[in-house]
Amino acid sequence: MISIRGVSKTYGGGLRRRKRALDGITLEVQRGEALGLIGPNGAGKTTLLSCLLGFLRPERGTISIEGLPPDDLAVRAKTGYMPERLGFDRDLTGGAFLAQHWRLAGGDPGETAAQAAAAAARVGLDGDVLRRRLSGYSRGMLQRIGIAQATLRDPELLFLDEPASGTDPLGVATVRDRIFEAKKRGATIVLNSHQLAEVEKVCDRVVFIDGGRLTQAQTLRGDAPASRRAMLRVPPEGRQGAIAALAGAGFIAEEGADDALRFPVENEEALARAVKALALADVPVLEARSSADLEDMFRRRGSP
Amino acid sequence: MIEMVRRFLRQRLGSPAMVIALGILAVLTAMQAAVSNAEQAFGTGFLAILLIGAGAVSKDASGGALQMILVRPIRRTSYLFGRYLGILLVFVIYVAAAGALTPLIARIVPYPSPGRSASDVSFADLGRGAASAFLNCLLFAAIILFFSTFLRGYADVLALILLQIVLGLLPQIPQAWVKRAAPVLRDNVLPYVDWREVLRASGAMGEPVGRWALAVTVFLVLAALVFSRREFSYGHD
Repeated sequence: MISIRGVSKTYGGGLRRRKRALDGITLEVQRGEALGLIGPNGAGKTTLLSCLLGFLRPERGTISIEGLPPDDLAVRAKTGYMPERLGFDRDLTGGAFLAQHWRLAGGDPGETAAQAAAAAARVGLDGDVLRRRLSGYSRGMLQRIGIAQATLRDPELLFLDEPASGTDPLGVATVRDRIFEAKKRGATIVLNSHQLAEVEKVCDRVVFIDGGRLTQAQTLRGDAPASRRAMLRVPPEGRQGAIAALAGAGFIAEEGADDALRFPVENEEALARAVKALALADVPVLEARSSADLEDMFRRRGSP
Repeated sequence: MIEMVRRFLRQRLGSPAMVIALGILAVLTAMQAAVSNAEQAFGTGFLAILLIGAGAVSKDASGGALQMILVRPIRRTSYLFGRYLGILLVFVIYVAAAGALTPLIARIVPYPSPGRSASDVSFADLGRGAASAFLNCLLFAAIILFFSTFLRGYADVLALILLQIVLGLLPQIPQAWVKRAAPVLRDNVLPYVDWREVLRASGAMGEPVGRWALAVTVFLVLAALVFSRREFSYGHD
C-alpha cells in the first residue's frame, strides 16, 4: 500500500545550516495496517509524515502509495489527514469548516450540511458548538473537529499527527474510537504520537525513528507479535514469595521503583500462567497487566 | 477552483476591517469621480489591490490552512488561480461600489469648480475609468500572486511596491547600460498602458497592450511554476 524506499531529506542549505531530518528510511505499510511512528522530539517523524503527504519532496529515495506518488490526485481523493495543529480560517465556524472540507474532499454538495453535522456528532460536537467560530474553540475541541474532518468520506488512508494531544480523557477515547472505526472498515493508518498507551491500543506495528533513521520496529498485533512486559502488584509482605513463585514458573521478575514486579512475557496467556503460579503460592495479586512496553524502545535508544 | 474563489471571497468580505477599508476607498474614489474627472478617479484602485491581494497565498501557508487544502484532491494550480480570480472578483465589487456611489455623492458633495453639477458626471468616463482600473488590477494581482507563492506574510505587497520603486529609480542611475536597460525592464515587467485611450478604441492592438498581456501571462505562469514546485512543512520534527 505505502512503500518508502531509502528516503532522505535535509533542511537548510545556502546560508542556513543543513540539518538531515531523514536518513535512508525504508518502510512498507500494508493495506489495512495501523502503523505507529514513535521517537523523541526532532527525530524526523513529522518530516516523514510531510513526505508521505507530498508536502515535502525527498532528496533521495522514493515514496509511493498504491504505486502512485503521494501528491497524485487519486491518492488525495482517499486520504484523510489531521495535523498536530489544525490550520483554519479564523472566521470560520466549526460547521462551515467541516462543510468546506466535505466539498474539497469531493463530497456531494447536496449532502454537505447533513454530513458535516453527522461527522461532528461522531466526535461529540453538537449543533451549538458548530455554530461557533473555530477561533473560540479549546484545544480539545479543535482536536475533535480535526479528527472529524480527517474522517470525512471514510478515507482509505488516514495520516494522524498527535491526534489526541491536548484533549481530555473523553476526547482521547473519542479519537481512539474514530481510529478503531477506520481500522474496522480497512483503512490504512499512519499515526504519529507521543501517547504510547494510545499507540499501543490502536497500532498493529510501531517503528521507532531517531535522528532521521528507523532504528527499531515492533509488531504489536498479527502473526508474530513482539514479547510484552508484565506488571504485577502484590502486597509488600508477599513480594519475596512472589518473586520465588514466579521464578519457579519460569519468570524472572524485578522489583521496580514503584514496588511493582515486572518481567517479560510472550503473550497474555503467559501472564495468566504467572498469576496462577502466585495464586498456588497463596500470594494475593492486587493488579496484573501486560503491555508492549513501548517505553523500552526509548530506553534502548542508543544502546548497542 | 470555485470552492477556492468562494473561500477567498469569504475570507476577504467576511473581515469587517477589510470591508470598512474597501468601503472607505470606494467612497474616496466616488468622491474623486464626482468632483473631478471620473475617468481618472480610480487611482486609489492600486491601494485596493494591495489590500485585497496582501498575503493571498503566504498567509494561508503560514497558518497551515493551505496544507489542509492541498491534502484534498485539488490541483495546486486550481488553488492558485482560485485565489487570483478571488482578488479580481473582490476588486470588481470595490469598483462597482465606487461606481454606484458616484452619482449619490455627486448630489451631496458641493462642486469645487463653478459651473459643474451632478448631471456632469459622465457614466462613459466612469465606465472607462473602472475598466482601466480592472485591467491594471489583472497585472498587479498577478504580480502579488507571484510574490505570494514564495514570500512570507505580507511581503508580497511590499515586493510589488519595491518593484515599482526600483523600476522608477533605475533611470536615475548614471551608468549608460543601466540607462539603456531601465526603460526596457520597465516596459516589460510593469508595462504602462493608457487604457483610457485603448478603450476609446485606439491602439487596442498596440505594442503596450501586447507587452501588458505578456507580462500578465508571464507572472501567472511563474506563479504556477513556483507554487507547483514549492514544499510545505508544518514542523521540522
